[in-house]
Amino acid sequence: MSEHKPSAGTDSNVSRRDFLKTTGVAGAALAVPYFVSSSALGNSQRPAASDRIVVGGIGIGNQGRGDQGDFLRQKEVQYVAMCDVREANREQSKGRIDQHYGNKDCQVYNDFRELLARPDIDAVHIATPDHWHAIMVIEACRHGKDVYCQKPETLTLREGPLMVAAARRYGRIVSGGSQRVLEDYRKYVDPVWAGEYGKIKSINVSVWPLPQLCNLPAEEMSEKIDWDMWLGPAAWGPYNSKRCSGSFSIDGSSWRSFSDYSGGGMTDWGAHHFGGATFICDVRDLQPQEVVYNDTPDGKYLAYNYPTGLTIYHNRPKFGNLHIEGTPGETVAPKAVPQYKGSGGIHGDFIHCVKTRELPFRDIERAVNTCVLAHLGNIAYQLKRSLKWDAAAQQFVDDAEANRMVDRARREPWQL
Amino acid sequence: MLDQAFVALQKFNWGTSLNEVAGIEDAVVTAHTDADLRKDLEQRLIAVLSTDVSADAKGYVCRKLAIVGSPAAVPALGGLLTQEDNAHLARQALERIPGPEAAAALKDALPRLSGKLKIGVIGSLGARREAGAIGTLAGLLGDSDRAVARAATLALAAIGGAEAAQVLTGALRASTGDKLPLIIDALLSCAESLLANHKRTEAAAIYKSFCGDEHPRLVRLAANRGLLACNSQQT
Repeated sequence: MSEHKPSAGTDSNVSRRDFLKTTGVAGAALAVPYFVSSSALGNSQRPAASDRIVVGGIGIGNQGRGDQGDFLRQKEVQYVAMCDVREANREQSKGRIDQHYGNKDCQVYNDFRELLARPDIDAVHIATPDHWHAIMVIEACRHGKDVYCQKPETLTLREGPLMVAAARRYGRIVSGGSQRVLEDYRKYVDPVWAGEYGKIKSINVSVWPLPQLCNLPAEEMSEKIDWDMWLGPAAWGPYNSKRCSGSFSIDGSSWRSFSDYSGGGMTDWGAHHFGGATFICDVRDLQPQEVVYNDTPDGKYLAYNYPTGLTIYHNRPKFGNLHIEGTPGETVAPKAVPQYKGSGGIHGDFIHCVKTRELPFRDIERAVNTCVLAHLGNIAYQLKRSLKWDAAAQQFVDDAEANRMVDRARREPWQL
Repeated sequence: MLDQAFVALQKFNWGTSLNEVAGIEDAVVTAHTDADLRKDLEQRLIAVLSTDVSADAKGYVCRKLAIVGSPAAVPALGGLLTQEDNAHLARQALERIPGPEAAAALKDALPRLSGKLKIGVIGSLGARREAGAIGTLAGLLGDSDRAVARAATLALAAIGGAEAAQVLTGALRASTGDKLPLIIDALLSCAESLLANHKRTEAAAIYKSFCGDEHPRLVRLAANRGLLACNSQQT
């Protein structure tokens, strides 16, 4: 198994020659092979090499394995490399990919920067814990890669605009990762977009819990893991199997529970539910202008108010998830519901867009807008007060403490 | 409850239940509308930093000072910048405390630091978008520690604007090899900040400088996209 140790420092290890090759200038004249294999020319099952999309994966744990399988099923995809800080994940993933292709070619990495420095890779999918997403997405864009990033795409409010800027700067296709936004909520989207509910006044999202600070004690390390790289930009903490577990639980037994790595249930399931709500109500391109904190005998809940007059509630007492309040009888012109492009669900949509350079269904800007709801909610619940949000300036209005929570420092040597 | 929380903080370490310090959590929220409580809370948090509590406890205190800290907390926080166990969370507070004191503490610490701790402080100056640090950061672009030079490049990109762009343009001319892509990226980022501030001419000048065939395709693509954005803003 080819394996690489983490690099010292933060240099991306990209030489100017590599950079030129990555971007197809110097490499164009040098890359013509003497012999062209039948595989390269393609056959009835596989497209020619020139039509293939060379893919690598970063963070191949529970969720990453699912994404990897979906990409391996895409016939245009040539999956050549993966990266994970856990040795067991590297071994398992390499075995799976090599078995898929009937060779031993898959390269494995402990350090994502080495994978991103490969000039032959066109696109990467990222399924690390959330505290790594922004750094990896931005660095991938700098290297000219298209990116499929699992949800929740951001950990802080500040990260989103920087990720969008990097994608737009280099014209990269960057897709967020919630397949549920389209696939689970069609039963609501179709009638609302057909005008059957009239103008939508409100929708309720039920999702919980809030993230908590992790203060778990040190445990003996029970696995081969590069702990410093797992923590990455997050605050240092001792190894504990619950701290870094990739379990989908949000009850204190996985990284998804803890604020240094995740927005808790608010972002984890919120990426799906808030994403579905904004799709149903067709406000995917907007952010709310305020979040109103309510503490009532029936429970605490939020009301996100949009400039359009729409309210998205969070955990509104006595209202179920995705309960919609419309204006029956009011005529609203029907609209065509957007669909995935290509075939193979959200992964096929991404691959199609890599080829055509169209914006994917879950374009990073829309994914970021969804995450904003979850982050605003977490901050409002933590501060126990209503907040006004200036979406253009990406800051709270007249609330200094809340503005201090827009971002957080990254552990050295990591920077955005 | 606040008194009990500060007592618990003295023995706070990995594994301590956060319920034991919940009084501090509550005070941080209440202090928003209670100036006296805020001042008292801050003073008590600052005092903890000069005791021999665990690094975990100091980290917890830094997280709270990131929300309620004022320039009064800067000396205590600045003292942690040389300590590997606490430098990161001290920076979390210093990145957020407004005013020249926090910026000065970060800048003044740089000569005493090296390696990762220096990189962290450079990153924090960038995160604060500290225009007053551009000269200092310019001097680090040629640092013999390539990671430090890289951090300074990223920090200048985060600060953005004409002055940072001028510094980066000079660095671009003096650089070769694998430093180039990140400097170019930083300049493109500066161009975006200039354009966002309606300084189209300055932004367009940066973009035009990267449109030539001598530049990689990815860079030319970015430059041409930027020029289009400049033109669309003009109309």
